[in-house]
Amino acid sequence: MTGRALARIAAAVVAVLLSAGAAADAGAADPAETARILRHGPWPMPWRPDPGNRLSGDAAAAALGRALFADPRLSADGSVACATCHRPDLHWTDGRPRSAGLAAGDRNAPSLVDVRRWRWFGWDGASDSLWAASLRPVLDPREMGGSIAALAGLVRGDPVLAGLYRQALGRAPLADDTALAVDAAKALAAFQETLASGRSPFDRFRDGLAAGDADAVSAYPADARRGLALFVGRGNCSVCHLGPAFTSGEFEDVGVGYFLERGRVDPGRADGIARLKASPFNRLGPWGDGGGADAAATRHVASQPRDFGLFKVPSLRNVARTAPYMHHGRLATLEAVVRHYSEVDEERLHPGRARLVRPLRLSEGEAADLVAFLRSLTSDER
Amino acid sequence: MGAAPRNLLAGLLLVATPAGPGSAGELPIVDAHIHYSADAWEMLPPEDAVRLLREAGIRRAFVSSSSDDGTQKLLAAAPDLIVPVLRPYRRRGELSTWMHDPAIVAHLEDRLARFRYAGMGEFHVYGGDADLPVVRRMVELARGHGLFLHAHSDAAAVERLFAQDPDARILWAHSGFDGPGNVRTMLERHPRLWCDLAFRSDHAPGGRLDPEWRALLEDFPDRFMLGTDTFAPERWHSVGRHAAWSRGWLAELAPPLAERIAWRNAEALAGAAGAGR
Repeated sequence: MTGRALARIAAAVVAVLLSAGAAADAGAADPAETARILRHGPWPMPWRPDPGNRLSGDAAAAALGRALFADPRLSADGSVACATCHRPDLHWTDGRPRSAGLAAGDRNAPSLVDVRRWRWFGWDGASDSLWAASLRPVLDPREMGGSIAALAGLVRGDPVLAGLYRQALGRAPLADDTALAVDAAKALAAFQETLASGRSPFDRFRDGLAAGDADAVSAYPADARRGLALFVGRGNCSVCHLGPAFTSGEFEDVGVGYFLERGRVDPGRADGIARLKASPFNRLGPWGDGGGADAAATRHVASQPRDFGLFKVPSLRNVARTAPYMHHGRLATLEAVVRHYSEVDEERLHPGRARLVRPLRLSEGEAADLVAFLRSLTSDER
Repeated sequence: MGAAPRNLLAGLLLVATPAGPGSAGELPIVDAHIHYSADAWEMLPPEDAVRLLREAGIRRAFVSSSSDDGTQKLLAAAPDLIVPVLRPYRRRGELSTWMHDPAIVAHLEDRLARFRYAGMGEFHVYGGDADLPVVRRMVELARGHGLFLHAHSDAAAVERLFAQDPDARILWAHSGFDGPGNVRTMLERHPRLWCDLAFRSDHAPGGRLDPEWRALLEDFPDRFMLGTDTFAPERWHSVGRHAAWSRGWLAELAPPLAERIAWRNAEALAGAAGAGR
């Protein structure tokens, strides 16, 4: 698109805002802002299978993964399935502040929608592949408390699962426990790869902006449009919640506390890197299918003092469906999230680097606009 | 501060100066960049904070807090461990406004009359703001009480602070987050400038010393010290990790230099404050 075309569209947006009586500031639709908006699309983005998972993108493997995902026998006492904390009816979360498997957990269950796109998995990035991230909770004593041997034994011994395995892998379940459990984890990943979000009102606005479609642009609610201007402008939100997926995929400190109780904190990324490096199931290990060629990030990531208390930047697509919020689920609503950013204690944030998060001091109307924008990221499908 | 409290601080530092490795044979550390602000007190009572420092092998900690009551709580709990430093902040939230608030001067004068300190800071000031009247008065008070200045500043502000008091001793927080070239320039220009390495890791990416930083540390063996920076209270639980991480890259240096950076330089700076100038 030429600069002149962008300018024409920007002018059209200004006209729409003025006609709607919008309170957006005069510079809200300048070419620079328009360019920032366009960078949040198009959606959906192309996706390529994970080179570290030979079952990635395979429908038969996804069928096995779907069955495993709902099966509570993966847990030590048969009471907890993956779907316990990632419920299909709750946008693949559990709606609780902090999840509980066999024991109470410390973190909020993130949605699995669009999970195929991430580089790091979990709030602390302790896994570098979706299949390894799928195996982790199975083995965690507080979550499912399972074991490699038990998982392998289940797939090997259950006729339905063994049949699905044969269809996916073209052979009988392996005799080696670890190899078979890894196959099961890769099938779990193949299933979760199918959980993809669709298009939202924001996407239609954004594409209308790109195409010069005045009808599509004007159909976008005025409050969401004002909130979008804040999001890509004064709010600085799009620095971390960037691109079509509305996330950098990396880790940040946004000024939320991470004490768990007296004497205990959640170290976030600092521990995540340590666990990633120690895991035999990372991309540098023998169980991936990428031969190490897909492991550059894992090879080079190193824990630094500043990683303490950092948590993953979540995608904002369908964020209205994934309450409560933050790694510990302590913010119950989107309104509370916006209030947090409006009033954030800036002394909790280190001022040494270019500070991304500052108290936005939003008016009531501005806060409502920002929430309206976030709700406009809700895709059409349920 | 009168002569008696100052001598008291000097005596305290003398008694508590570490003579060598800690009890576990590990390199002792003086952490020159610790805060114990109000939001830490409930989840991290003084006894917990002191325990975290001792478990990390921290033999002394430069502590400044918002409010200063936090520093006094820790000092009361562990007088052998805590080196009190006075912030020009009465509470959290004054980091970017204090230099415009004349009431800060009265706050500093009040605390200086009632308590003893080794330094003034950590304060945040940049560029021309360092010449504002409140900042100037703070520098005068530091000079009058023989205190070092712990400045979270850019190089321009450090220059202005030295212009106000060429004899000041300035501990440059985070080494100004400047690159090694600029840090070298500042150290060459100002013999009474020290640098803490808090909340930065570019000198030891991946836990291994960067060659340019290594040369800087070796060329200025008396000027660098360590710090964790507990700007959020949860970060107290990273003090041990930070100490371990620091010992890792310090082990690449000759032991005498490692000791200087780990604790001797900080002890010297605090000791000079306690002894006056």
